[in-house]
Amino acid sequence: MADNQIPSSVADAVLVKSIEMPEGSQKVEELDFNKFKGRPITVDDLLQGMKHMGFQASSMCEAVRIINEMRAYRDPTTSEKTTIFLGYTSNLISSGLRGTLRYLVQHKHVSAIVTTAGGIEEDFIKCLGDTYMSSFSAVGADLRSKGLNRIGNLVVPNSNYCAFEDWVVPILDKMLEEQEASRGTENEINWTPSKVIHRLGKEINDERSVYYWAWKNDIPVFCPALTDGSLGDMLYFHTFKASPKQLRIDIVEDIRKINTIAVRAKRAGMIILGGGIVKHHIANACLMRNGAESAVYINTAQEFDGSDAGARPDEAVSWGKIKVGADAVKVYMEATAAFPFIVANTFAKEDGL
Amino acid sequence: MSAAHDDAQHEHTFDSVDAGASATYPMQCSALRKGGHVVIKNRPCKIVDMSTSKTGKHGHAKVHLVAIDIFTGKKLEDLCPSTHNMDVPNVKRTDYQFSYIDEDFLVLIDSNGEEKRDVKMPEGELAKRIEKLEEEGKDFFVGVQTAMGEEAAIDVKEASNKD
Repeated sequence: MADNQIPSSVADAVLVKSIEMPEGSQKVEELDFNKFKGRPITVDDLLQGMKHMGFQASSMCEAVRIINEMRAYRDPTTSEKTTIFLGYTSNLISSGLRGTLRYLVQHKHVSAIVTTAGGIEEDFIKCLGDTYMSSFSAVGADLRSKGLNRIGNLVVPNSNYCAFEDWVVPILDKMLEEQEASRGTENEINWTPSKVIHRLGKEINDERSVYYWAWKNDIPVFCPALTDGSLGDMLYFHTFKASPKQLRIDIVEDIRKINTIAVRAKRAGMIILGGGIVKHHIANACLMRNGAESAVYINTAQEFDGSDAGARPDEAVSWGKIKVGADAVKVYMEATAAFPFIVANTFAKEDGL
Repeated sequence: MSAAHDDAQHEHTFDSVDAGASATYPMQCSALRKGGHVVIKNRPCKIVDMSTSKTGKHGHAKVHLVAIDIFTGKKLEDLCPSTHNMDVPNVKRTDYQFSYIDEDFLVLIDSNGEEKRDVKMPEGELAKRIEKLEEEGKDFFVGVQTAMGEEAAIDVKEASNKD
């Protein structure tokens, strides 16, 4: 055998002849900034330039497409829109993404919200004191001695929580008074997490607040874990103050309310930033309608531990929480990096949807 | 509200007992100490346990108090921001010379030789001790505790031989 010939066994293994790519296959496309020379670059320029870039750029742009389809849908007989469930974790309210979330609620772009206790209280706390930039590597012991609480690379001073206590405790007093006064009457007050949030949104009376707008626009905010945060601390302390009376907060009335919203929706869409209860509570509500028609997950969680937090939409399909054949994507990005881009290309567009 | 409390409200006619002294005085919560007194749910109590949590996510620093009602023995709990004031009862103790038992009440003699007939006969162990001392014809004193317009016999003390 001549030295300049590849052995046939190697040629067979390595140099496999390609099939022809099927007709209409999407080529990888490149973002060329030369195209925008002499004019400001728009978010649509980035969207068009990134959607066939591959990896998470493509996933993020897929999320834009799916959300725009949620927005465009009208029921053929009733013209009802997609019922959009928005879920997000507490850290996102602490971050500057709160303004983006508030925009969606202010302009009635979502139908219902699910968040955690921190996702509620941090919104009110931001009306009472500021959250500051810090660093992921700020030392815990130092921060503790200075009375600063770290959330990633942000810090919240203890004084903000004292201000929150001073604000919220008198409201809890009033709510308890109303609950007790209504006993045995025709309109008994049965507090639920969503009713508590509605009330606090009214009381804060501040246009920077997500829940002020949720109150104003009557968008229900669900928080089955309402006690898992500073609000829970306040409710705990309040039991001592109020004893033997006690504020009662019922989660059963709320599960009925959120599931009913899902069941009655003409079409359901989920937009979920982060994982845990905010992700599963929405998915579980959509199970009641045999699955959501469309879903956008944005989180960095992995699936290998079997927790729902990192599960891809296809796992929810197996449970019936997302419909078979539904339009769904998981964007493996941190929400503060991805969601402003997505909102800029969807809800914030001047397209009249 | 406990039955004991209701009784107490009907019975307190002892304004003269602590004339001039107020029933309670305010104290900053953080200055309270175990073994001291505090008012919880409008009841005079002795503090048996207290712990504090520093300022944090839960807001102001808090003091958690466990206390025993000095008259009923009932356990009460409270949680108060450490900078807030709480009421402390003025607790007074006076020894009276025992005279006799008049049905449900003790007849006592104060230091001026005046008769005092409004202290209820206690129950339980203390009642047995008083009855026994009376039977034996002993000369003894009854310790009466007063706080927030309420008073009760709390112990007995035999007169020393010198007297």
